[in-house]
Amino acid sequence: MNRIPRTLLVGGVIVGVICILAALGPWIAPFEPDAFNMRARLQPPSTTYWFGTDEFGRDVFSRVLAGAHHSLLMGFGATIISLVIGVPLGLIAAFRRGWTEEAIMRGVDLMISIPPVLLGLLILAVTEPGLLKTMLAVGLVYVPIMTRVARAVGLDLLAEDFVEAARARGEGGFHILAREILPNAWPPLIVETSLRVTFAILLGSALSFLGLGPQPPDSEWGLMIAESRPFISEAPWIGLAPGLCLCLLLIAVNVVGEGLRDLLDPRLRGRGH
Amino acid sequence: MTSFLARRFASVIFVLWAMTVLVFAIVHVLPGSVAHMILGEFATTDAIAALEERLGLNQPLYVQYWTWFTGLLRGDFGMSLTMERPAGPVILEALGRSAILASISIVLVAILGIGLGIHSATHVGTWSDRGLTLMQYFFIAVPEFFWCILVIIFFAVWLGWLPATGYAPLHEAGFWRWAQHLILPVSTLVLGLIAHVSRLVRSSMLEAIESRYVLAARAKGIPERIVLRRHALPNALLPAITVLAVDVGILIGGIVVVESVFAFPGLGRMLIYAIDNQDIPLMMGGMIVITAIYALANLAADILYAVLNPRIRVSGSAG
Amino acid sequence: MSLLNIQGLSLSYATQRGAVHALQDVSLRIPRGGAMGLVGESGSGKSSVVLALLGLLGEGAALTSDKLDFDGKDLRQAAERLRGRRIGVVFQDPAAALNPSLTIGFQVAEPLIQHRGLAREAALARAESLLGEMGITRAAEVARAYPHQLSGGMKQRAVIATALACEPELLLLDEPTTALDVTVEAQILDLLEKLRHERGVSMLLVSHNLGIVDRLCDELTVLYAGRVVEQGPCAETLSTPRHPYTRGLLAALPRVDRGRMARLAPIPGGLPDLKQPTPGCNFQPRCPFAVEACATPQPLLDGVRCHRAAEIAGQPWPIPELGESVVRPVPEALLQAEGLTRSFGGGGLFNKRAGIRAVDGVSLQIGRGEVLGLVGESGCGKSTLGRLVLRLLGADSGRIDFDGKNIPAEASSEFRRRAQIVFQNPDSSLNPRQTVDEALRRPLTRFGIASGAKATREVERLLELVRLPASYRSRYPHQMSGGEKQRIGIARALASRPDFLVCDEAVSALDVSVQAAVLNLLTDLRDRLGVAYLFISHDIGVVAHIADRIAVMYRGAIVEEGPAAAVLAPPYHPYTEALLSAVPVVGAQSRAESRIRLKGDVSTAPGEGGCRFAHRCPRRMGNICDTLTPPVREFGTAHRIACHIPAEELAAMPSAMAV
Repeated sequence: MNRIPRTLLVGGVIVGVICILAALGPWIAPFEPDAFNMRARLQPPSTTYWFGTDEFGRDVFSRVLAGAHHSLLMGFGATIISLVIGVPLGLIAAFRRGWTEEAIMRGVDLMISIPPVLLGLLILAVTEPGLLKTMLAVGLVYVPIMTRVARAVGLDLLAEDFVEAARARGEGGFHILAREILPNAWPPLIVETSLRVTFAILLGSALSFLGLGPQPPDSEWGLMIAESRPFISEAPWIGLAPGLCLCLLLIAVNVVGEGLRDLLDPRLRGRGH
Repeated sequence: MTSFLARRFASVIFVLWAMTVLVFAIVHVLPGSVAHMILGEFATTDAIAALEERLGLNQPLYVQYWTWFTGLLRGDFGMSLTMERPAGPVILEALGRSAILASISIVLVAILGIGLGIHSATHVGTWSDRGLTLMQYFFIAVPEFFWCILVIIFFAVWLGWLPATGYAPLHEAGFWRWAQHLILPVSTLVLGLIAHVSRLVRSSMLEAIESRYVLAARAKGIPERIVLRRHALPNALLPAITVLAVDVGILIGGIVVVESVFAFPGLGRMLIYAIDNQDIPLMMGGMIVITAIYALANLAADILYAVLNPRIRVSGSAG
Repeated sequence: MSLLNIQGLSLSYATQRGAVHALQDVSLRIPRGGAMGLVGESGSGKSSVVLALLGLLGEGAALTSDKLDFDGKDLRQAAERLRGRRIGVVFQDPAAALNPSLTIGFQVAEPLIQHRGLAREAALARAESLLGEMGITRAAEVARAYPHQLSGGMKQRAVIATALACEPELLLLDEPTTALDVTVEAQILDLLEKLRHERGVSMLLVSHNLGIVDRLCDELTVLYAGRVVEQGPCAETLSTPRHPYTRGLLAALPRVDRGRMARLAPIPGGLPDLKQPTPGCNFQPRCPFAVEACATPQPLLDGVRCHRAAEIAGQPWPIPELGESVVRPVPEALLQAEGLTRSFGGGGLFNKRAGIRAVDGVSLQIGRGEVLGLVGESGCGKSTLGRLVLRLLGADSGRIDFDGKNIPAEASSEFRRRAQIVFQNPDSSLNPRQTVDEALRRPLTRFGIASGAKATREVERLLELVRLPASYRSRYPHQMSGGEKQRIGIARALASRPDFLVCDEAVSALDVSVQAAVLNLLTDLRDRLGVAYLFISHDIGVVAHIADRIAVMYRGAIVEEGPAAAVLAPPYHPYTEALLSAVPVVGAQSRAESRIRLKGDVSTAPGEGGCRFAHRCPRRMGNICDTLTPPVREFGTAHRIACHIPAEELAAMPSAMAV
């Protein structure tokens, strides 16, 4: 393996730190995230309240810490869902061809014709929103794209001669999939997955912002930003703090994605999405 | 080419129809009756029964679907539950206002995105190129709604230059006030997309510049700027069309958020309102309209692509 | 004064791992009206010379030169002004060199508009007539068309037209016919010869194909790993080569007129590392005549860079001995296929399209230990046939019997064990994530032949069989060269000890010197193990070296079949005749009258019914060829030709080989 690119290291470290902080959140937060303290409301950032307080006197820093895990779970969870459903579908479509492929790809085309946010809205509009449901909705939104990518990768690999060599040995479908296709498929799939995490976090927090994610008093970052709107002029820090943390997380994840791309397939560099 | 277009058209029809089924199914088939949803937890059975009768909800599902579907085809979106008015005109009005945002945005994204992408590709490695790449990273990582907040804090609250929310119709408030209300929403919509499009155009332009046929054109003694304009550019722009079509979808998503933040009375805001207030007809109607627009945008892109790409436009062999 | 004068050209590229010295002190001269061939294999740097002359090298290329003159002007400054105007270029792949979004007519007219200041209509009109001069019959139609609508040969004619538009004095050609079928290649070479004759244009022809260079060029420069190793008049250099590398190249060339009995002599070893050029002779590690003194710097003396050139002139180039015990083919049939048919692309949902018949009712027979060479150009269906025979692709109809037993569409494991395949492309035939050991072990475990320690010994035996060291077991494909990967592909196919092997263009993607080694290997293995081959190739010269029998295929059917020597000699099927006549052979003095040329190319569609070759056949007799299926005529031992031409006339044909 080549040396690990710097981008991967730097991004990975940042993401790792955020994950650790999110996991330890409840224990290391200086204050209770939903402890009201009306005497200390709308305080600017200070040494006691690192990110200031909100309209209920709650410590914004503690709330940000407590809410971190939502964004992480959203990003990674939703992506894993889309991976787990999308990749097998795509590989099956590549393998089977014929009617199965047609049916799967028509379904994919249909779902791609619906703008992502709309699909998310549709699914969440009619149920009680919450972290799990939002994660599921976002995951489902990205299933078609993963299916398409997995199918393209599968088709490319199936055209390689070494796969035909395996067929010439009479190898069964399972062996070909497991030993010939998958070991060569995972680099491009990993790269695609890492890109999806960014989008999943974005979509998830946007839906939460609109009120369709975790509900108050949870301190999901998108929700916090939404709740900060009435106080934008007096206490901008209530919205800025979670917003900047969200940006940091997204940049870090993006950088990790670029690093993975450099590591696993330099040819894809600069192709963006 | 005609068979290609015919297939695409059929596909659009299919998608729209399938969307009606999907929307209807999700709204009506999920647990909890619709009437219950509307009236809330403590409604009496009588009240529920009365509402169901009034809305025709006690009829079998396929009948309900058929009524709604045929209504759609006639242009009748049913009655808005919360506004006591036909849903159709409400949706159309909101659509008109969102269309302003959307069209200005798409034009800006196309011009600036393509322009910056080409500039970047022809000045690889310079400060402007590196700066652009850095900004792209940055813009892609900032969520739309946060942009809105930032931009409001900066321009509306601190500088007070522009209004934070609302909308003033053109004929009422005059051009400048109308434009003022549009500037912030449009800028937040376009920033991320410009980054995205310029990045793609840059790599597609680079690919064209590094191609064999550009080398061959240079070998013919054609000056560099003509080579770029006549040989590289057309081939580089073809993928841009496809990207712009996909971006319309992202734009739609952005519009929902942006309208919500800026209290801009467009289709997105209407949709959120409908969801929050369980206004079923408005919600379903809004979703269908948005999907239709997206499907049409994609169709337009496909047609444009087919017309501009000789490989699809002209088939068969010659000589 | 020479038209082109290059002295001391050196070129290096900066890469991540250090500077690569692609060209080292290259000098050559082309007089006005002269034609110089620049010959070398991959890695010789020959293509870089063309780019260097034009000033089109990319970033990171450092060029130094004592002289780089065109008509007295320094190309380092003047190239930009001369490109397209006084120097024209033809690149290798016409599909890539043409802009897919512009019409052919415009692309040919462009230099006229740019350099001659012609108005658009005038330029297009001139372009059209130019296309006609290049032998394109429907020039107006072609001028309005886009590149994707034209065949390969047509595209290359258009590219040549573009290069000649402003009547340049020098034409640079970089592998102009490599991407084309051999019959189309012959047409293009005819065209180039004619152009040289009529317009007196000078040429620099870069190619790895010595036969082409021999045909078109007066003088020859041989490049090895960036250095000129020999220079001189073409005919003389090729008939009496002096530098060991040139001699090696010629000894490694398969020649259609030598056939099975001549042994090919591969050049052992590989290219030197261009990042660290050796001060002494860079061919020394591979040279059979090398001595201590070769390590000193070798100057180019009297056109050859070898201090022993005169000494070794008399000594023959070493040719490897034939292996022991030649197992002779047994007449009984091992594989018998009848009426195999396969179509592609047929049927649509709404209007059923007739598909293309890639293989149309083909029957063939291969004896134990026999090599059947299957020859044909692109689109003839030979690769499809190879896969049908192995049941890797389903046949629409037909029957296959192997060793007396019928093989159904779902072939048994036993058949799979005994019938294997070797692929063309060494880069895609091996799983990049598997070591050599894993790749070779899998067939052993799959067929239950060996496992564990026994399998390890077997793997080592296989490596030895393909002449690779046992240490290669732990290597990954990206750590091996093309030739080595191909040998592993062969070893893998032989792992299950098959009786029958389909070699699908197994040597086509390799350099000449490596090709010779792999071809010898395949011949030896056949002799030692008694494996039967279906050896598929587009290169009849290669096939001539290994095949016992040859079958010639055209558009889905076998048009001629028989013992190798019989097929290569008259009587011929007209297609075979054209094929043999088209192959450029070194040292051949082909007389213009005796050359058989086909019109058009494989993509021109035949009519329904009748002989599928009729519309291109130079010996077409008349309506009967278009309407009636040609009868099969027999000549001698199992030599069959499907043609309407009466047997006596066929037997009276002159030899088509250009010797």
